Amino acid sequence: MMEMREFLVRARVETDVLRSWVATGWIIPEDTEGRWTFRDIDLGRAQLIQDLERDFGVNEEGIVLILDLVDRMSSMRRALGHLAVAIQLQPEVTRKRIADGVREGQRKFEDAAG
Amino acid sequence: MSEDPYKVLGVTRDVSEADLRKAYRKLAKKLHPDLNPGKKKAEDGFKAVATAYDLLNDPIKRAQYDRGEIDASGGERPRQPYYREQAERDTGHPYADDLGFGGFGGDDIFAQMFGRGGGPNPDRPGADARYRVELDFLEAFNGGKRTLTLPDSRALDVTIPPGTRTGQTLRLRGKGGPGIGKGPPGDALIEVDVRPHPDFRLKGNDIHIDLPLSLRDAVLGGRVIVPTPSGPVAMTVPKWSNAGAVLRLKGKGLVRTGGVSGDEYVTLRLTLPAEPDAELQDFVSRWGKTEHHETQQGVDAR
Repeated sequence: MMEMREFLVRARVETDVLRSWVATGWIIPEDTEGRWTFRDIDLGRAQLIQDLERDFGVNEEGIVLILDLVDRMSSMRRALGHLAVAIQLQPEVTRKRIADGVREGQRKFEDAAG
Repeated sequence: MSEDPYKVLGVTRDVSEADLRKAYRKLAKKLHPDLNPGKKKAEDGFKAVATAYDLLNDPIKRAQYDRGEIDASGGERPRQPYYREQAERDTGHPYADDLGFGGFGGDDIFAQMFGRGGGPNPDRPGADARYRVELDFLEAFNGGKRTLTLPDSRALDVTIPPGTRTGQTLRLRGKGGPGIGKGPPGDALIEVDVRPHPDFRLKGNDIHIDLPLSLRDAVLGGRVIVPTPSGPVAMTVPKWSNAGAVLRLKGKGLVRTGGVSGDEYVTLRLTLPAEPDAELQDFVSRWGKTEHHETQQGVDAR
């Protein structure tokens, strides 16, 4: 966790800009009695916002959309990671059965798609 | 980092500022690690592309590079750790989406895998299938077999137990959704709606019915045929039965498994012949002289 001052320096962002990010919910700091503190993940998120704005020329609506999709994708990948661990812990025969099931599912999907 | 920044971005040396930006964005989209999970090379590639762009996008540095005064090294952009890596790894941040392993409650792919409220047990019973069926009064009262055609045009044979009533649910074991893993299939749950009958009225477990009774039977008594839901039965009407009198047919009401069946209550409705009967009219006109006597009797009855 870091104070706002440290965050501003490390993220290389102006105070006004950070305030607007917090106001729109792009960055959600920890709020203890009106005092903001930030996590490392907020730095990464600030970097992504800057990349999108500056390098990709994405406008505000686009950034909202991309942040939302990245968050969903992250949660999905995390959940799938847990699932992968769970599968790895299964005995060989079970893992093979799951692999077969996945192939079967793929086939069914493709058949359904025509 | 000393690769030719023009090559890194795939542009010619006389590229315009606009085309340079276009080329960079195209590559960056494909390489940005936050937007391209699972690509191991993306991170290095993005760094190279961003560094090349930073150099060429700065007119002074670009000119210096073109004149050979500087090389492409040293311009690396200081970076924060990538957002997505952290977002994936940690759950204790406010940006986490709720589709994770929280409770399997949501309408997500994991709920689909394990079933609602399910645990890790891969063998689970299939889902129950719910249907509604309308039954005729007599069908529900007497029970029987019925073949239902399901929405997916499958046929389902249903045994209707005697004494079925509205709101009751019939459960057909194993006729629901297919089991998951080695789990048994689910059940079919059929909710029953019984259509009312024009003559029989059900009150609790008892049947009520009105019985038209001739004047002759009311006065002299006799054997009459009474409809019951299980078929007509003969009943003795005592002589001098008045209109509105209620007779009971024991055990002719609704069948209750393990309990006492209901009764049928027959309310007598005095009915004159459909066509005027000269003989009867003649008789009553003579007998009518003692009308006060009849009224008196009515008062006594109260």
